[in-house]
Amino acid sequence: MELLPDRLPWFIAGPALGLLVVGLFLVANQPLGASGAYIHTIKAVRGDADTVSWRVWYFGGIFAGGLAATLLGDGLNAHTGYEAMTALWSTPVVAAIVFTGAIVMGYGARMAGGCTSGHGICGTAQRSPASWVTTATFMASGVIVTYILRLATGGDL
Amino acid sequence: MKHQSVRRQLHLVGGLFGAGFGFVLGAARLHEYDTIHKMLRFDELDVFFLMGAAIATSLPLLWLLERRGINTVFDGRIALSRSKPERHHLIGGALFGAGWAVAGTCPAPALVMLSSGAGLAVVAILGLFIGLQLRDLHVAPTVVGDGEHRQLTTVE
Repeated sequence: MELLPDRLPWFIAGPALGLLVVGLFLVANQPLGASGAYIHTIKAVRGDADTVSWRVWYFGGIFAGGLAATLLGDGLNAHTGYEAMTALWSTPVVAAIVFTGAIVMGYGARMAGGCTSGHGICGTAQRSPASWVTTATFMASGVIVTYILRLATGGDL
Repeated sequence: MKHQSVRRQLHLVGGLFGAGFGFVLGAARLHEYDTIHKMLRFDELDVFFLMGAAIATSLPLLWLLERRGINTVFDGRIALSRSKPERHHLIGGALFGAGWAVAGTCPAPALVMLSSGAGLAVVAILGLFIGLQLRDLHVAPTVVGDGEHRQLTTVE
């Protein structure tokens, strides 16, 4: 439908995310993190007694909100999402790389107690020293590993 | 029952906040591999500005709400958490950053990526589930970080 601009600029999207963080504290006294939603979705599937069910709704909400942005923007179209990588390797190889990266990322998020949203935005906004340290660490690590990938692919990635 | 109705209201709150979050991520194209990669290569600084603007908006507001001791709708007085950095934050952060660079996405944007029709997002989401689970198998979950869900004191 192309109702949305090509890309919502950072000076609108950033404060909007900030207000969502504040809003979730005002309503439920909870951080706006994403890895916790994954954990409670697994718990819901397993039928654990300590599942926090609203985090599962939140998990589904992220998908639904993303879908709304897709439909109001470019529209839904099937693609791999990793065109930069599929230009270099076959799709199964790219899938294996992404899968491995995601496992390491999940393990790290659980170990650190949060991810880009939980520590990176919500924890830093709570003025938590642990979140500032975690955020600085994953930013540095992300930049270094990206640089290594760039060297390893001769500048293609 | 009062408890049941609170649960239903919380479901709605969760769904709405999730949808708002997912919408902003999608509209700002944070779910795209290129956006994240350009950021980590310093080719484009928008995502750093975006995160900075989100923190600059929420940090002072949360500070003010905390100082005023405001009451939240469902869970009593507002409570922010401030933990001391420990070893697991450094190692976990380093692993997270490495995976982030390789997969080009993180937990919330991966879901938005799938909703944009990107097929390989399924692989990323599955990997995230497995990674999170592996850590719990490896070490019994005791730490609740500042970015994670905390037990509500009055409901659930």
